[in-house]
Amino acid sequence: MIGTPESPVTLPTVGEPIADGLAPESGTLSVYNYADYVNPETIAAFEEKFGVKVEFSIYDTEEIALAKMRSGGVKPDLIIGLTDSVLARFVAAELLQPLNKSYLTNFGNVIEGLRDPYYDLGAQYTVPYVIYTTGIGYRTDRGIDTSAFVGDEGWSQMWNPAYAGRAGVLDSYRDTISMALYRNGVHDPNTDDADALAQAGSDLEALAEAVRPQVDILAYQEIAAGNRDISLCWSGDTLAGVGYLPEGTSPDVLGFWYPQNSFTANDFFCIPRESQKPVLAHALIDFLLDADNSLANQAFVGYQPALEALTADSLVAAGAIPESLVSALVTPASFAAGKRLVSLTPEVDALWLDAWSRFTTG
Amino acid sequence: MSTSAPTSTGRAPAGAPRASSTTSRSWSVFALPGTAWLAVFFAVPLYAVAAIAFGRIDPVFRNALPAWNPLQWNFSTFVDVLGDILAGELRGVAVRTVFYVVVAVVCSLAIGYPVAYFLARSAGRTKTLILVLIVLPFWVSYLMRMLAWVNLLQRDGLVARFTSLFGVEHNWLDGSATAVTLGLVYGYVPFLILPLYATLERLDWRLVEAARDLGASPRQAFWRVTVPLSRPGVAAGLMLVALPMLGDYYTNDIISRSPRTEMLGNQIDFYLNAGTQPQRGAVLVLVLSFVLACLAWWYVRDNARSEVVR
Amino acid sequence: MMRRSARSLATFTWAYIAWSLVPVAIAVLFSFNSGRSRSVWQGFSLRWWTGDPNASLLRDESMRTVAVNSVVLALATLVVTLPLGTAMAVGLQRWRGRGSGAASTLASAPLVTPELVLGAALLLVFTNLYAAVPLGRPAQILGHVTLNLSLVVVTVRARLLTIGSSYEEAARDLGASRATAIRLVLVPMLRPAIVAAGVVVFATSIDDFIVSSFLSSGAGSETVPVRIYGAVRGASTPALNALATLLVVISFLGLVAGGVILWVLRRRSGERVTLRDFVNEVTQADA
Repeated sequence: MIGTPESPVTLPTVGEPIADGLAPESGTLSVYNYADYVNPETIAAFEEKFGVKVEFSIYDTEEIALAKMRSGGVKPDLIIGLTDSVLARFVAAELLQPLNKSYLTNFGNVIEGLRDPYYDLGAQYTVPYVIYTTGIGYRTDRGIDTSAFVGDEGWSQMWNPAYAGRAGVLDSYRDTISMALYRNGVHDPNTDDADALAQAGSDLEALAEAVRPQVDILAYQEIAAGNRDISLCWSGDTLAGVGYLPEGTSPDVLGFWYPQNSFTANDFFCIPRESQKPVLAHALIDFLLDADNSLANQAFVGYQPALEALTADSLVAAGAIPESLVSALVTPASFAAGKRLVSLTPEVDALWLDAWSRFTTG
Repeated sequence: MSTSAPTSTGRAPAGAPRASSTTSRSWSVFALPGTAWLAVFFAVPLYAVAAIAFGRIDPVFRNALPAWNPLQWNFSTFVDVLGDILAGELRGVAVRTVFYVVVAVVCSLAIGYPVAYFLARSAGRTKTLILVLIVLPFWVSYLMRMLAWVNLLQRDGLVARFTSLFGVEHNWLDGSATAVTLGLVYGYVPFLILPLYATLERLDWRLVEAARDLGASPRQAFWRVTVPLSRPGVAAGLMLVALPMLGDYYTNDIISRSPRTEMLGNQIDFYLNAGTQPQRGAVLVLVLSFVLACLAWWYVRDNARSEVVR
Repeated sequence: MMRRSARSLATFTWAYIAWSLVPVAIAVLFSFNSGRSRSVWQGFSLRWWTGDPNASLLRDESMRTVAVNSVVLALATLVVTLPLGTAMAVGLQRWRGRGSGAASTLASAPLVTPELVLGAALLLVFTNLYAAVPLGRPAQILGHVTLNLSLVVVTVRARLLTIGSSYEEAARDLGASRATAIRLVLVPMLRPAIVAAGVVVFATSIDDFIVSSFLSSGAGSETVPVRIYGAVRGASTPALNALATLLVVISFLGLVAGGVILWVLRRRSGERVTLRDFVNEVTQADA
């Protein structure tokens, strides 16, 4: 059930999609999402339009989301933000329901290349949300040596002891280990090479020693607030950071770098099988697929929506992105050049987790 | 008349004999509901931890499959983790945790004892005032107190701006052991002061006076009379503080999110809540409980013995 | 005691108190900041309490939900723990037979168990064995009661020790049944301990983080400390400070309520009550 760009997969259809033509439910829609990953104002507009309330439960990593969903600890109506690294396991655990496209009138707005994604041919369970790439976010006014950001060596800046105490890496084992792999010239973020992974694990231990990074997904606010000067982060973090700068600070202070072959990804919406309000969930997805709503959403979230109409150029033209941060946008060329993070088989995943726990135990 | 009283013993012993002389056995009925509760929600969960620690793992989802029958227990993960603690990747975490706790407890004692002593020896309205102020942190959530300190220590916080006046440019939240240890001290000192105060308050000060009368200097009287007399209370207080500290993880999470300062509690939280390896988490919980049980048992024995000696 | 060392001790104590409380006072102060920052003062405003239409304490639904969750959880815990714990204390104190030692140990075991162990054990058991209990408020109530039961038992037992059984026996000699003796003699004498224990249980439950967080099920059962923890690691405005301040205020209200109840009860029975007594009662319960 693991799809890759080279060999796409049609996921098994588990369960029935909901019937056509149902009216949206009323009450409270429960959404499981990352923190600060959807614009409260956009949600308020949705609440008003449908006369409902939306409440959010937060997860920090996809692994936590999977664990909570499996144990029944959380019972949301809609999940936002998962990627295909966990999709196979969600489907295997029969946690998702097939979508009913008749409710998704705006589905045609999705970027052409993602309408029939390799991880979910026919888009049975998923609808793309945002696209992003992983790179290094930094402050331009704190003495970071930007000339060093070139090719594989550029990643080495995360190991630079000059930045000790002011650095961060992502609390995402796939991204952080991939950074170490890339630095060693292994340009495969899905590798099953045990030696390469073991080396990556040691390198990360060295990173921890040299730089004492904070390990979380808060780069978007920490860099903006000035608590951190350099961080492994997702491209959208830098864009979102603009909203967290202290009043009066120019967005010029934020910078982002990534090599062309960096690992890219998109995440998506999906609806749990046990969703109590599936029609409403579809309605919210559809609402966020509308180009105007999506643009408004982007202003807060920072990440680039996976919509055809909102290309990098159009976002800059619309004034949504400051000039200095154009580097953080994902263009079709860079999306094509980047490597996708796909699901790993349990054996390979165990290797990755081993390397990760060596890093996290310090 | 007593209708306004909280019906604390509302559970009237239904089947208890209404004889005029009550056997001590029949009092057990009162204790039964509570005991049953603790059995179901305390003892059994602890057993469940063992069942999971010694159970199996689902290969695809890596979630735990508990083994309730001790005869089916599988100790491979347990041995694995023990090996990791003694010589492998968990060794750093274990050593570091013990180190932080020891340092933090010593510092807490150094701060808490003088304060408790002063409080015990003062009198009158000042005493009540100080007592209230010292108890105050209890009514403030631990997290809020940490939050308050983190705010002050941030790059643009008051402490950093104050020290930059003197030219000291230091990032107080840079993931250092000092920051975490001081955080632990700040968080737990109030929990130490009260038991210390309780002990010192009940101390028989006449013994100290007697020592003074016999010619001891204040310092000698302190070290040779007060301190030994307060030892049981101090030990109790230290237990009360060290035990929770060994399982602390949120202090590190709030003050420093760096792997360099990771404590055992963080590791347990990671294994259990991040959903990756619940079985290892359960094993670590067992190991932690065992260590704490040893400490508690040693304390109880030590206390009992000193009682006998007195 | 030489005056000089007494004075330096006094200074040390006041310095400690300042170190202990000033950061909290500052955090409370910043909840009234007019700007977004939690560390740079930009003027006084009620923006984060009532003003801001999206993020203020009053307007933000999720903040209100969280505060309500905390209070409901604490009250539910109180309602279960006090009767259960008092009965257990009375039973343990008087029971001399076989098994009383084991029950006694069981009663004080949670006190020396770190919350992490308890939280982890409860999480594991609710997801593996007691699957009928959903995570979230039901599980949290059960967890909080378990956490606080020993506290009540210890507090009430301490009081029982000082009371002794002579009053009850006197009542029994005068013809009262055991139940009546308990109801009319023992319970009123235990009231101060029960109220003090109740105040501490309320505050412990309100401020509890680990058990609440391990057993939570997302937004519907988030309590204030869990929210604070999540927000410290996420975007946060001074509304967070406001929420934390609200938590402190609620804890205090619990304390005041306890004091008032005690005062009323003692006034009824004619005893003289001083603030000092109440403070002592509560600190005994704490320690």
